[in-house]
Formats: sequence, structure tokens, C-alpha cells
Amino acid sequence: MRLEHWRYTIPLRLRSVFRRQRADEELDTELRDHVECKTEENIARGMLPEDARLAALLDMQGIERAKEECRDARHVTWLQDLVQDLRYGLRSLRKSAGFTAVAVLTLALGIGANTAIFALVKSMLLQPLPVRAGDRLVVIWIDNLKNGWSRIGPSGQDYLDWKMQQKSFEGLFLFEHGTGTITGSGEPEQVSGLRVTTNFGDFFGIKPILGRTFRLDEASSPHNLMILSYAYWQRKFGGDPHIVGRGLTLNGEPYTIIGVLPANLSTLFAYDIVVPFDNARLRRDDSDLGVFGRLRRGVTLEQASSEMNLIMQRIARQRPSRKDYGAFLMPLRSARLQDIRPALLLLLCAAGFVLLIACANVANLLLSRSIVRQREVAVRMALGAGRVRLLRQFLTESTLLALLGGCAGLLLAVWSNYALAESMPSRIFVPNAADQISLAKAHIDATIFVFALVISLLTGIIFGLIPALQSLRCNFNESLKEGKRGASSGRRGNRSRAALVIVESALAFVLVIGAGLMLESLSRLLAASPGFEPHHLLTLRIKLPNDAKDSKYKEPRQQRAAFQNFLARIEALPGIQSAAFAEILPLSQDDMDMGDFVIQDATPLPLGQHLAANFRDVSPGYFRTMGIPLIRGRAFTNQDNLSHARAVIIDESFARHFFPHEDPIGHHLQVPSTWVPREIVGVVGGVLETGFDQQPRPTIYFPTGQTSDQTMSLVVRTSMPTSTILPAIKHAIGSVDKEQPVFEVRTMDQIIAEITAAQRIASWALDVFALLALALAAIGIYGVTSYTVSQRVHEVGIRMALGAQPADVMRLVLGQGLKPAVLGVGTGVLASLGLTRLMSGLLYGVSATDPLTFVGVAILLLLVALAACCIPARRALRVDPMAALRYE
Amino acid sequence: MSKPPDLVQGTLDMLLLKVLALEPMNGFAVSQRLKQVSGDVLQVSDGSLYPALHKLEQEGWIAARWKVSEKGRRAKYYSLTRLGRRQLEKDAQDWGRLSGAISRVIKLKEA
Repeated sequence: MRLEHWRYTIPLRLRSVFRRQRADEELDTELRDHVECKTEENIARGMLPEDARLAALLDMQGIERAKEECRDARHVTWLQDLVQDLRYGLRSLRKSAGFTAVAVLTLALGIGANTAIFALVKSMLLQPLPVRAGDRLVVIWIDNLKNGWSRIGPSGQDYLDWKMQQKSFEGLFLFEHGTGTITGSGEPEQVSGLRVTTNFGDFFGIKPILGRTFRLDEASSPHNLMILSYAYWQRKFGGDPHIVGRGLTLNGEPYTIIGVLPANLSTLFAYDIVVPFDNARLRRDDSDLGVFGRLRRGVTLEQASSEMNLIMQRIARQRPSRKDYGAFLMPLRSARLQDIRPALLLLLCAAGFVLLIACANVANLLLSRSIVRQREVAVRMALGAGRVRLLRQFLTESTLLALLGGCAGLLLAVWSNYALAESMPSRIFVPNAADQISLAKAHIDATIFVFALVISLLTGIIFGLIPALQSLRCNFNESLKEGKRGASSGRRGNRSRAALVIVESALAFVLVIGAGLMLESLSRLLAASPGFEPHHLLTLRIKLPNDAKDSKYKEPRQQRAAFQNFLARIEALPGIQSAAFAEILPLSQDDMDMGDFVIQDATPLPLGQHLAANFRDVSPGYFRTMGIPLIRGRAFTNQDNLSHARAVIIDESFARHFFPHEDPIGHHLQVPSTWVPREIVGVVGGVLETGFDQQPRPTIYFPTGQTSDQTMSLVVRTSMPTSTILPAIKHAIGSVDKEQPVFEVRTMDQIIAEITAAQRIASWALDVFALLALALAAIGIYGVTSYTVSQRVHEVGIRMALGAQPADVMRLVLGQGLKPAVLGVGTGVLASLGLTRLMSGLLYGVSATDPLTFVGVAILLLLVALAACCIPARRALRVDPMAALRYE
Repeated sequence: MSKPPDLVQGTLDMLLLKVLALEPMNGFAVSQRLKQVSGDVLQVSDGSLYPALHKLEQEGWIAARWKVSEKGRRAKYYSLTRLGRRQLEKDAQDWGRLSGAISRVIKLKEA
């Protein structure tokens, strides 16, 4: 029924709006036909032709009136009014092209900034996880607050115990990330891999695009099954649709490919391949695994948290090694986004401020224009135009302006997102979790488009309403009198303008303060020494494939020899100043390794208490290569091997912490498993492990000659570019073992850029916004001051004719221009004191109410305001008193 | 919009629909036919006729087509649509009930 109705009526309405002339002509023809018919009938009845026509017209009660009623009957007046307003608005905007250009540009900046940031926020914060009911997924860590360890990955046994005992979760999922070596097809390749419990597919609700995921029973025996990620399938196999069932050699063992994951899963798991845990390995693995749980419907995080803590206490009774451990739960989304969210929200706020300033500016422009148009408004009102009708017309105009600005802004947003995507890192590290989130690239889609449209419309209404109401309030009798300005409305107009300037400068102040604090904080962050010399360091990782049955690296001895051989070849390369291996490089977030230790001959600790520190295996040249200063004792040498006494080196914070009053050199430490005494032979400077906003943690260094590792990071000090030196290094490694790949090749500068990404993005964008705000505020102050000056030309002329000195005139103009700016800065200081507190989490080394920044920014803003006032003030000085007086 | 005071509110639409149900015709013919059928009792002023017709067209109850009349002029001919036919049935029913009820009330014998 409705549909059929529309089928008739929509074309009709469209026609009466867009083919108005045609419709009007038809109406005219129709009514004239009627009059002709009637006239003919009247003549037939015996009337004279003139009388007959007159009578026919009289019967119609006026053709124009009838037409108007017919138009009314078509219900299209409001649409026609809109079209009329739009046409009128376009015409008047075109007529004042300069005004339009400035207004559209200003709005484009405001709307563009908001759209770009919204696109970024949407792609990061609002995008749901690419899995089933992702909002009920939580990460489960264990922590040991007594030792100051938070967010440690649980062991396989923890997972098995939890699985048996818990009731809060529909299911638990365990995973471990690592790397593996793919051989057999071309150059050996190190791929990133995920080892998962076999409920992987079901737990996340994954629908593979090819093949299947694991079956639950595939955990019991080594099935050697493998699922490929979409990206790896594309990269390695060119998207071969017949890949399922093919074999692949991973770590020297044959695997069968059973499926390919959907592409969007990479935002959660950015790995090349997925393999299943077998149960034996699950019981054996004791380190740092990842566990996710899916909360049952209706179970809160707190309930689950307290249940898990109870379970941990129960576990501690069975396994004393878990004494003092608790569980720490966090929704997966929060865990992934906690670092980036404050930065994004800050940017969203900042962009909103820029838009408000832009609105204030455009409102100011419109206000000035509305004074000029006062006579036009007065005439129209005198002719009977309703206030509401006029208001609608003003709003149509401002909305038109805002929409034009919105279009330009959308283009700006597209461009800036493109630029941002170029300069932004693709991943951000999550501190203390040895994990990272990959940043989805922001792109402009329908939602973004709607967002831009909505803020354009809102903007148009907000900044259009003030001047519109202002000009409707005016007394049109006054305005109609030739040449007079309505004195009262003028003052009221000035007051609105001053208020807008106050708002504008306050907002600009807040933004510039924010940017100033961020800049200060970033510069301190980048200037902070990580404890080593980060430049000219190239790093890469090597993992020996010792999982394979016929691996030549089964024995620790073989592993040590391999790394020593690699190092010997690499050190011999020309252009390399020094090279070393380390288990974990500072700031790399590759992994963590910490443990308990005992100080020999120290007073025994109360039962259940442990000392704990970071453990690091490093090769002899490590401290020299990294530029970590040796403070006392000696560095490791090649003599620190198994045929000599065990030696360790501690860092400064360890010494400060555990040997506050004595020289640690010569003391012995013991660590679990072997409990061999290890002599402290040296003390080195502390390094930052996880981020610039952290302090060095107590660390024990072990010489690689007395330990063994499967995976090591190579660090090389060289002034040669990566592109030159990397092939030489790969060749050197290949000359020892041609099957050995390298991975994660990064310079230390890149590593630092990655971990400071959130701050850098925030600081960079905030700087841009602050500059925009400053420029817009300057334009606003300039506009208002120069408008007031132009209004007071006569007055200035009279004053000068009466003997006012240039300094007096200057004082008059500057005083009037600066007063709202000073008030604005005052307001801004108060607002900032409240608002910058919200960003204190993003600041490093600088307080959110840093007085120096506040004073500096206030001076900067006042200088800008002064500069903006100076141009019109100088114009006022040039007023020729004679010319000004002649007008009176 | 002015309506003839002697027509009950809303009945003009029904009458116009009914007249147009007979055959497609132009506005002039509608007014002639209405006058003629009702024996000059029901008269619609020319000033009200056309707004009413345009309203019906907007509702989708009648559709218009341009034709050349017998006099050789271009004239707008209205015809009933399917929607209009349905509307007419509904209106006629309502009218039947209403007028039946009114006449029952009027014919009440005084006690």
C-alpha cells in the first residue's frame, strides 16, 4: 500500500521541485483551458465575449490565487523554500567569494581534522575483534606482587589446572608465539608461528577460507598439522587454491597444510603459520604462555577474577613454586588498546577543539557579514518575512557553507590518512606482555562519510545560529534609516564577537598547552638515555632449528659452538666495529626472562620469600658493542666458559638494590636448577628494558660460554647502511650453515621508533592541531580587531583631529583587541589546569601543570594576539583625519 | 483552502473520485458533470476545484495525462488509479454508514 503510494507520489513531488517551471507552465495551461471552456459555454448561453471571459475569471476567484492553492495542495512549499534558500545562499556565497573561501577553508581544516582522527579512532578502537563474541574474551596472566612481577604468562600446567577447576569461562585457550624455519623450497625462511590448543577454531569461531581448523583429538599425538595465515598463503603460495593437503618442512619435520585462515584474523594474530600443541609439550612447557578465556554469559570480570585467584591459592598448596602467585584478568580489547587509547582520545579532543575554534571563526565572519546585511534583513522583515523563515534561510546558508567545508574537509582527511598511513608504524608494542598489536590502516568508508556529513550539519547549525539570532534581534526601524548603524545592536554584536574571541583564545590556549607538554615530554623521552648508545646498531635474530629429530643443534654444546662460529665470521667482516649475541636485547620486547636467585652467605630470607631479577645471556663483546659502561670489575671474556669458574655480571640497579652497603664484586649468586655458585665479576650500567618511561630493573648477565640458548639476537655496531651490511652478514652465517635463516632485522633506531610510536603519533598530531588552533585564533582576533577598527574610522579621525597622539590611538585599538584575548588566555589557564591532568598518562618527565610551559604558552598566545592586532592598529594610525571628517 | 460550505468536510474528495470513476475527464468536465448529475445541487467553485484535484493527484488517487481535447487544445485529463478506486470504495462505505446513521437519528419519532 505505502509502496504503491510512493510510486505515484515521489516522481510527482520531485517534478514539482526540480521541474518547477514546467509544472507551473502546466498548471497555467490547465487553468487557462478551464477558463476557455467556461468562456465558450458562457458565450453559448448568450453572453458577450468580453463578459463571458470576465465571468469565467470571476468564477475562478483569481487565477494566481488558484495557482497558489494548487501549489499548496502539492505539499511542496517547504521543499521549494529550501531550494529557493539554497539558490539564494549559493548566489550570495558566490558573490562574496573571498569570504566563502576563507570560511570554507577554515571549516575544512576543522572538519578534516575531526574526520581524519575519527577514521583513525574507528579503525583502532571501534573495530570489533575479528572473532566470535570478542567482547567476552579476557587475557589471563599470573602475577607475583611480592616480587613485583606483573602480567607473567602462565605455564602449561597452570593452564591444565585452570581448565579442570574453573567455572567462570565457557572455554580457555592457550597459545605460544615463536618462530620456525621453513626449508625445502628455496632459501630457508624464518616464519612467525603460533602454537595453539586444538580448540583454536571453535574458541574464536574461525571460518577458514580453505580447508579446516584443528580437531580437538589432534592434540594427543604429533599430527604435524599446519594452518596458514592468509598473508603467508598469499606471499608464499600466491594464493594457490589447492594448497590444502600439501606438505611443508617446518624445523626439519614434514607438516601437512590443512587450512587457510581468513584475512581479517591478522589484526588479532599476525603470524604466518599456526600449529597445534600436543599434550606432552603442554605439560613440559613452563614459561610465559598466553591464555585467553571466554567468559560465560552473565559472569563479570570481577567474579572470574576472584575465582581464578582462589584457584591460584589452591594450586600453590600443590605446587609450592606457585606460592604468592595470583591471577590477573583483563578484557582482551583493553589489553590490546590500553596504550594507544589515551593518545587517540586526546587527539579526538584536540580535533574537537580545532573544530570549535573554526566554528567560532566562521561565526565571527558571518557576524560581521550580518551587520553588512542588516539592511537587507530589515527590508525583508518590513515586507513581511517571518522571523522563522529568515532564520531558516540563514541556517540554510551556514549549513551550505559547512557542507562545502565538509566536502573539502573529507578530501583533507583522505589525504592526511594517506600521509599518516605512510608515516605510521604498522604495529605497536604492548609493554610487559611481550606482545604487539598490529594497527589497522585507517580508511575512509561509509561511516566516516556519514560522520563528516553529521559534523558538517551540526557545525553549520552551531555557528550559523549565533549570527542568525543576532541579526534577527535587530531593530529594523533603526536599520532602515539611511546610513545609521543601530547603535544598540552594534554594541551587542561587538559583545558577541568579543565572547567568540575569548572562547577561541581559551581553546587555542588549551591546545597549545597540550601540544607544548607533549613536545616537552617527547623531547625528554628521546633525550633520555636508554643506558646504551642506540645509534649505528643493527640487530637481527637467529633461531637454531633444534626441534627437528635430526637436528645438529640438539646439544647445548652444539648450540654454543654454532653461535660462536657465526660470531667469528661476522666479526671478521669489514665495516663491522664489533658484534655480539644476546638472549634478549633491551627495548626489543622480544621476550622476557626473569627468575629467582639466592645470594650466597647472605642471611637467609624468611620462608616463601624470593629475590628476583632479569636474566640475560650475553656474549663477551656485548657491553662493548652496545656501549653499556662497565662500572666496576671486568667484562666477560672468552675464558668465561664451562672449563672455568662460573661468572656473572650485575647491573647498577641490582647492585644498588641487593648490595646497598658493600662491594658486590666477589660475592656469589645461585640460581635454581643447578645452584652452582656464580661469582659476581663486574657491574655495568643499567639499561631500559621495556620502555623509556620505565626504570632499569635489577639484571643478572650470564656469559654465553656457560649457558645455552636456541634463539639469540645478534647486535652489530656498524656505520654502514643496513642494505650494504646485511647481505654480508647473511652470507657469513650461510657460510657456517646454509640452512640457517635470520629474522626480525631491525636497527636499534627502528626499535626505539616502534616503542615510542604512540607518543610520537600523539605529539605529531597534537602539534599540527595546536598550530592550526594558533593560526585560526590569530585570524579570528585579526578579523575582529580589523572589523572594529573599520567601524571606528570616523571616531579615530575625530580623535586625531582633536589632537590624539598616535600612541593614544594605538592604545585604544590594541586595548580593545587584546582585552578578549587576555580574558581568553585566563580562561584557558583555568581550563588547562583541569584538562591536562587527563593526559598525564601520556607525559614523561614533565608535570601536567608544568609552570614553565604554561607561562611560555601564555606569552606566545598573547604575542600572536598582539601581532594580529597590530595590522589593524597601524591601519587606524594611517586614518586621514580630514578624510574621516568629510564623511560626517 | 476554501471549500464550499455546503459540502460536508471530506465529501468533495469522494465526489470527485466518483465522477472520475466514470471516465477520464478534464477539470472543466468534472465540474459540469458534478453539477449535472446532482441536479445543480452540488456545485464546486472553480477556485476550489483545481486545488482539490491537485491534492488527489498528490495522494496518488488520480493520475493526470495530457491530451488534445475535442476543441483542439491541450488539456489535462484525470483518471482514477487503483489506489483511488480503493479509496473511493472506502469513502463510499464510510459515507453509507454515516448517512444511514444520521438519517436514523433524524427519523426518530418524537414521543
